[in-house]
Parts: sequence; structure tokens; C-alpha cells
Amino acid sequence: MVFSTRRVRMGAGILAASLAVAAGLTGCSTAGGDAEANASFTLWDPYPQFDETSAWSQLLDKCATELGVTIAREGMDTSALTSKLLLAAQQKNAPDLAVIDNPLVASIAETGLLASTDDLGLDTSGILPNILAAGNVDGTAYGIPLGSNTLALYYNKAIVKELGIELPTDWASLKDAVAAAQAAGHEGIGFSAVGTEEGSFQFLPFFWGAGGDLSDLGSPESVDALQLWTDFVKSGGASASVLNSTQADINDQFLAGNLAFQVNGSWQLSGLDAGDVDYGIMPIPGIDGGNAPAPLGGEFLTVPVNADADRQATSAKFVSCITEPDNALEWAKGLSYVLPTEDPAIVEKEIAQTPNLAAFIDAVGAAQGRTSDLGTEYPRVSEQLWTAMQAAVSGTKSPEQAAADAQAAVDAG
Amino acid sequence: MTAALSATRTVPTSGESGTSGLPAPGPASPRRRGRGRGRAQWTAWAFLAPVVIYLAVFYAYPIIRNLLMGFQDYTVLSFVTGEAPFIGLENYAAVTANPLFWPTVLRTAVFTVTSLAFQFTIGLALAQFFNRRFPLSTLLRSLFLLPWLLPLIVSGSVWKLMLDKDYGILNAALGLFGIPAVGWTVDPNVSLAAVIIVNIWIGVAFNMVILYGGLQSIPGTIYEAAALDGAGPWRTFTRITLPLLKPVSAVVLLLGLVYTLKVFDVIWIVTQGGPANSSQTLSTWSYQLSFGPQLQFGLGAAAGNILILVAFVFGLIYIRSQRRLEER
Amino acid sequence: MTKLGRAMRTVIGVVICAILLFPLYWMLVVSVTPRDELRVTPPALFPLNPTFDGYARAVGDQLPFLGTSLLVALGSVVLTVVVAAPAAYALAKLAPRGGEGITFGLLVAQMVPGIVMATGFYAIYAQAGLLNTLPGLILADSTLAVPFAVLVMRAFIHGIPDELIQAATVDGAGSVRTFLAIVLPLSRNAVVTVSLFAFLFAWSDFLFAVILTSSGGPQPFTLGIYQYISNYSKDWNAIMATAVIASIPATILLIVAQRYVAAGITAGAVKD
Repeated sequence: MVFSTRRVRMGAGILAASLAVAAGLTGCSTAGGDAEANASFTLWDPYPQFDETSAWSQLLDKCATELGVTIAREGMDTSALTSKLLLAAQQKNAPDLAVIDNPLVASIAETGLLASTDDLGLDTSGILPNILAAGNVDGTAYGIPLGSNTLALYYNKAIVKELGIELPTDWASLKDAVAAAQAAGHEGIGFSAVGTEEGSFQFLPFFWGAGGDLSDLGSPESVDALQLWTDFVKSGGASASVLNSTQADINDQFLAGNLAFQVNGSWQLSGLDAGDVDYGIMPIPGIDGGNAPAPLGGEFLTVPVNADADRQATSAKFVSCITEPDNALEWAKGLSYVLPTEDPAIVEKEIAQTPNLAAFIDAVGAAQGRTSDLGTEYPRVSEQLWTAMQAAVSGTKSPEQAAADAQAAVDAG
Repeated sequence: MTAALSATRTVPTSGESGTSGLPAPGPASPRRRGRGRGRAQWTAWAFLAPVVIYLAVFYAYPIIRNLLMGFQDYTVLSFVTGEAPFIGLENYAAVTANPLFWPTVLRTAVFTVTSLAFQFTIGLALAQFFNRRFPLSTLLRSLFLLPWLLPLIVSGSVWKLMLDKDYGILNAALGLFGIPAVGWTVDPNVSLAAVIIVNIWIGVAFNMVILYGGLQSIPGTIYEAAALDGAGPWRTFTRITLPLLKPVSAVVLLLGLVYTLKVFDVIWIVTQGGPANSSQTLSTWSYQLSFGPQLQFGLGAAAGNILILVAFVFGLIYIRSQRRLEER
Repeated sequence: MTKLGRAMRTVIGVVICAILLFPLYWMLVVSVTPRDELRVTPPALFPLNPTFDGYARAVGDQLPFLGTSLLVALGSVVLTVVVAAPAAYALAKLAPRGGEGITFGLLVAQMVPGIVMATGFYAIYAQAGLLNTLPGLILADSTLAVPFAVLVMRAFIHGIPDELIQAATVDGAGSVRTFLAIVLPLSRNAVVTVSLFAFLFAWSDFLFAVILTSSGGPQPFTLGIYQYISNYSKDWNAIMATAVIASIPATILLIVAQRYVAAGITAGAVKD
């Protein structure tokens, strides 16, 4: 007979054993997360790296206890969060609170999904206006910024000292500095030129630093900015890998110790402090000197509209509690976020926690929201911006052509 | 003589004998055909019932919804308000008029054909190689499936690291032979090749395992007969093995085509369709239209539907070729 | 084959395997390479300063996720075979009218992009209360395999000589008995092959898991890995360590299952 009963039995045995193991392993975890629907509030955030012991989770629990309710928090990848938020909205079971990346707030708010700060009765007077503006639609705010981050130019102190150069103050001196580093056998400059919002985010300080305006991607200033990056890659000052490297990758490269300059964000501070590189921070220079305006990063805490007014009111109180600067200090430290407050007392405490944050606090004060001017138009424009940037840097198109095509696409779409 | 007889009897022909009413291959069974016909149909459909219900419940809704979405102006607003006005063929017009469309179609074709060709031939060669028993053959064969154990985020990320222009091991290896560093994931001229390589790597195991199963089902007696008749290994392969393998090969190629057309994660993780859209296929573009900054689900569905249409056409070709094989 | 021929085959086999599986070795290397040594030129083939922090983290976090993955994958396999095998038999041997339509339907079913299926399921599951449940995941993951299973098994079952099946009918066996006692054993290769892929599809699934479950519910390790991926950084060590650890039980199952793909199942079964 072709079928050996002994083998069958062995196979069945293995199957049974695996099932037992599997069941055993899962037994500990699935503690059926269905608390009483009424008292349990749900919050979705894009911080999957934070577990229950993190400062963020503890802050949420603390606020929940204060309000006499429980909170179930779910951390997930940002893009998954947006998709699931939309799907949940469709099924009318959106979470009570959602942490949304700032350039997306306007688009989601426009759908009517989010409650405005006015409706929630939240006081926004203590918040830096440029930061709050990122979540505005037609002058109405739709969420409270949790914390901001922005970009600066990090430099490797040892390499700069070895080269004996002054820190760059404009683009000409930046190019010279990078070339000098290259000549000395180091890697010149690192930035992220990926084809996503991250790429636009990184490119914006240079775009704005050249005097560019997002409403006109085809301007000569825009071409200047594109030319800068293109020249860096062409000359080898920046590796062609920047086209596929995220900010995290560039930071890893910087940590390896051979990169002279990197354009990166405040959130890298804790990682850099833990590393071996003696680093310095300076603002990204503008084309003719001065500091380039840097883009605002960070998330907003929003409240999806809830038919149950009481529940929405409690959610609003949650928001107040979580964004209370004294409360937020500790978890913001983990991400090196700059709190969006003008209160000098808080600023002092932030610097006391993370000394190197000082440079970023100034930068955030002068930073520009990406959606502040264009609102819900921003995502489309941003897509054309990074497409143009990639086309120019990869050599597919000349900077002039790339810029012109980008504006044409924006006009057409 | 007996071996040859059993050879003709076991020649597997594929395809349906249902609609054309042709008898199943092999000696006719008069008892089956006469009064047993109605009952035989009932039995057949009873066996089919679970799958039919399964298809109806799980596939009907997503397919129809996606089909409709291609004709609707479906945006973020639609999720919240539920409104999605019908705009006829506007989405399709917008998609085809987009300057990215035709280059993307071309790239999708190149990606698919190249991947399939290499996956199949390498898979077949490996299957044939493993068709004999030798020490460790079972172990090695199982190990080939390991790439499928890994979530694509892991295998895609590993390849991305290996393909890195400056720090990747592939360029380091090429450097040993004096070949200058290739910008696999960053040079627009090479990025498509890079994702093709990764896709081939992933697909070889699929082809190999299924073709191996097919090869194993060919009775050894046929090979003995061929050897007796003095056929060399190449002739045996082309005249006996390949024809006998046709039904399995056809399935593998068709499924491979459908899966390759759908490939998304691999490209997304390794190059994200970049740089500058140089490795964008219809599948990734469709995703970007829907979930990228535009959040234009109608457009994304339209692009996706075009993809499904292509697969559809090949599905029809498959069915027709099955029928033709059957009639032979 | 001569003994030397066999030995040669083994050697060549090992070399081919080593080349094709090199990326897996690289995964191992990355799992122990310290953060600041990941981007160095030239890359080190063998990490001289291995760090096992990633493994510590993975073992601490991922075990429950692995358990869920195993349950979902195995459940998926069972469901797939139960639904697909009878259908494959019917399509291959029982000549149902309209069978071609079903085959075509199965092909079309596979052409649908995963994201479309997942978002479609969300709506269905939300209404049916299947969101965030183990059976829900098993059902969803099985959709990855069922059409494939039917089509592949159909091709295999075609190769079974009709005489064998008719012999059973002549002996008075009903269709169910014929199916269970003759067809299934004879299509063992197909069942095993298909089960393998059903397992693998479900094991490595990420899309259905991310859309159809939330934390606090059953989540497979493909989601567990995302704990190490954030907007700001990727914990490569932990990611790769999780992948390595996750591969162990699955590899064992794979090797065991491969033994069941036996040669020449139909040989000698037909006497002249």
C-alpha cells in the first residue's frame, strides 16, 4: 500500500505537538482586550516602539486614572494608522483619540472626521502659532500638537577640526566644506533623498533656504535648490545611496564615524548621545547666509467626532491632560521632541533634560509648517517636489526640467 | 512493451471535459454515462460546493467593490461621508493619460516576463537536479523554501542592505572581480533589474517545489522504457519529461504570472518604485495612487483593475489552451 | 547513479543551496552586527563584534506572537485542504458542467491585489464581529491559498489513472469513499505541496494581520516585528533576530513535510 500508517501517525503526532506548543505560547498573551466599552477609551498612535513601560504609556495611564477611566492604546506604523482610521471611520467605529502626523491633519480634518479645538473647548493660547497652524483648515485648529521636531545640520567635530575649516554659513562655504572632507578621504554630507514625504521633508530646508515657495515649484530658486543636491551627488560629496536612504539610515552612517555632515532631525539626539561620535549641531544655512527655514515635524493629538457628547468631552479632557507641558516633558524626552509652548519655564526644563535640544528649540520657533500655506493641497505638491528632487538627483532630468515638470504636474492635477 | 502501454495510459491531459461533454481520457465507462449522468453531476457539484460558497462569500464582495471603485470618485471624504459619485470612465481616462502610465506598463511587462522566464527555468533545472535521490537531497530541498518563511519586510530589507551601493555585499563581491560599484537601488537604469533579481530569488522556490512534485509523479518506468529505447538525457527531457509536465508547468506559469503581476511588497521595500519612478509597476503605482499623498482610491482602483484585466486575458488563454489539449 | 555521482550531486547541491540562501546568512549576520558597524565599507562577511541584544529583545517580546502565527498557519492549512481537495477532485475527474467557469473564477480570485481583499474584509468582518479574532485571521489567510490549492491539486489529480478510480467504483465504492480511500492517498504529493504553501502564505502574511487585528488581540509575529520599526529608526538586530527565531519551528515543519513528497506514487499500481 502506498500509505504507511506509521508515517501517518508520526505526521499526526507532529501536527498535534505543534498545535499544543502554539496554543501554549499564545495562552499567555491574548488576554482578550475587550474591557467594558463604556469606560475604556481607545487611542491610536504611531509609536509602536513604545511598550507599556514607556513614558508615553505611563502618561496615558496617569491621565486615565485622573479622569476615572481606562485607556487602551494601540501603537502602529503611520501608514497603517491612516488606512485603519479611514476604514474605521467608514464602519463608524473610529477610536476616541488619534495621533496623526502633522501634514495629514488638514486632509483628514477636511473630511469632517475630526472635532475642532473650538468644539472641544480646548485652550490653544499657550501654543506656538506656527506649530498650531500646521493642523489648521480655514483658520480652525483640529488638534493639539504633541511635540515638534525639525532638521538641523549635524557635523562630526573631529573631522571638522582635522580639516581646519570654519563651520559653513552659506551654500558656497557648505559646498567647500563638503569638498574638503571628501578630499581628505571622508564622506562629505548625508541627507535622505527618498521618494516619500520624508524626502520632501529633508529637501524643504534647502528649497526654502534658496527662497523657494511651494506655490511655485518651477521658480529659479527651486532650480537652485535642486542644483545643490544634484551637484553634491554628482561630485561624490554625497553618495548616490541617498536616493534610497531614510533619515535613520543616514544617522547610522553618521554613527559609523566617517561622515562629516548630516542633515537630520532632533529625534536622533538620544541615539547620537549613546554613540561614539563627538558631534555638533548647527542650523542649516540659507543660500546666501542666514538660517534656512526648517520644516515642522511631529504629530497632533486629535479627537474624531463622537456622537456621544459626554464621551467626546472626556476625550477633550484627555487631550488637555496629555498635552499639559509639565506632563509631557518626560515622554517628549524619549523622542527629543520640542514641546510647542512659549512658556520659558518649560523651555528651561527641556534644555536641562536634553542640553543639545537648545539648538532645535530655536529652530522650531522659526520653523514652518508644511501645510500652513497650502493646507490640503500640500500632499499633492509634496509628491511633485520629491519626484522632481529624485529626477534631478538621479540624473534622469536636469534640475530645470525637473522643476518645470513638477509645476506643470501640479497645475494639471 | 507493457511499460510503453502504461505510458500512454498515464499521459495526463488537463482541462475540463465538462462543458464539451467529451468523455474523460482513458477507456470509456459506459455505465457512468447513461443513466448515471445526472447523479454524477450532482455528486460533482457536491464536492465543489465548499469552494463555491467560499468564493462567493470571500471574493465576491472585494472584487465587485474594487470594480465599482474604478468608476467612482472615491476619496478620503468618501470614507467618512459615504458619498462616492459615479464618474464613468473618468478614472480610467485620467490613469491612461498620465505620463507615467505607458512607461509603467512597459516596466510591468519587462518585470513580469523576465521574472517568470528566470524563475521557471531555474526552478525547473533545480527540480530536475533534485529528481534523484542522493545524500542530503531531502534536507536541501526543504531548505530552498526557507525564503518563503520570512515576512517580506525581512527578506526585502535584507536584500536592500545587500544591494546598497556603498555598503552592500553584492558590490563588495563584484569588486573582487574588478567591477565598479553598481547603484542597484539608486541608479534609475538599474533599479528595475534590482527588483527583478529579488523577485526571481523569491519565486524560484515556488517553481521548484511544484515542478518537483510534478516530476516525481512521473513513473520511473517511463524513464526505463526510454533508456531501453536508447534515448539520451536531453531527448528524454525534451520528448518525455517536458510533455508530461505540461499541465503542471501551465499551472505554475499561469499562477506565477498572476502573482508576479501583483507583486508589491518586494518592490516597495527595496526601492519604493524609485528612484524617480524607474522601478514602478502597475501594482505599486496603484497602491501609491490609493494610499500615497493623493489618497485617490478611485484612481488606484482603476489602475489596479487594468492589471486585473491583463491577468484576465492570460487566464482566458490558459483555459483555451487547456481545452485544446483536451480535444487532442 | 554511481556512488561518486551521488556524492558529486550532494556537493553541487550544497553549493547551489549556499548561493541561493546567502541572503539568509546575511540576515543572521545583520542580526548580530552592532548598529554603528552596519554601514561600513567593505561589509564584514563575518561579524567580529557580535551583539546578542537583538535576540534578547526578540525572545522577550515575540513568543506569544509566534504562537499565534503557528495557530493561524496550521488552521489555514487545514481549512485550505478541506475546502480545496474535494473541489480539485471534482474539477479534475468528475466533469461537472460549468466546471470551467469555476476554474476561471478561481483564477480571477487570485488576481485581486491583497490590499483590496484586506480592505474588503474589514467591512465584512466589522459587521460579522470577526475583527481581531483567531478564526477571522485563519479564514482571511486561507483565502491566500485556496484558489491556488484547487488549481495545483487539480493538475496533479489529473495524472491519476482513471482505471484506479474506476476500479473502486466497480467494487461498489461511493464517490466519497473513492475520494478518501483512493484519490487522496494517491495525490499525497499534491496535498503536501499545497499544504506547504498554504502554511507559508499564512505564516508570512502581514497585510491581513495589520488590517484585521489590533494590539490586544491575536497578532502574528509579522506584526510583532513592527514594534521594532518606527518612523524614526529600525532596530535591525531585533528585526532580524525575530525572523531567525521565527524560522526555526517553521523550518522543522518544512523538513518533516518534504519527506511526504514521495516518488512514483502511481507506479506499479496499474497492472496490464
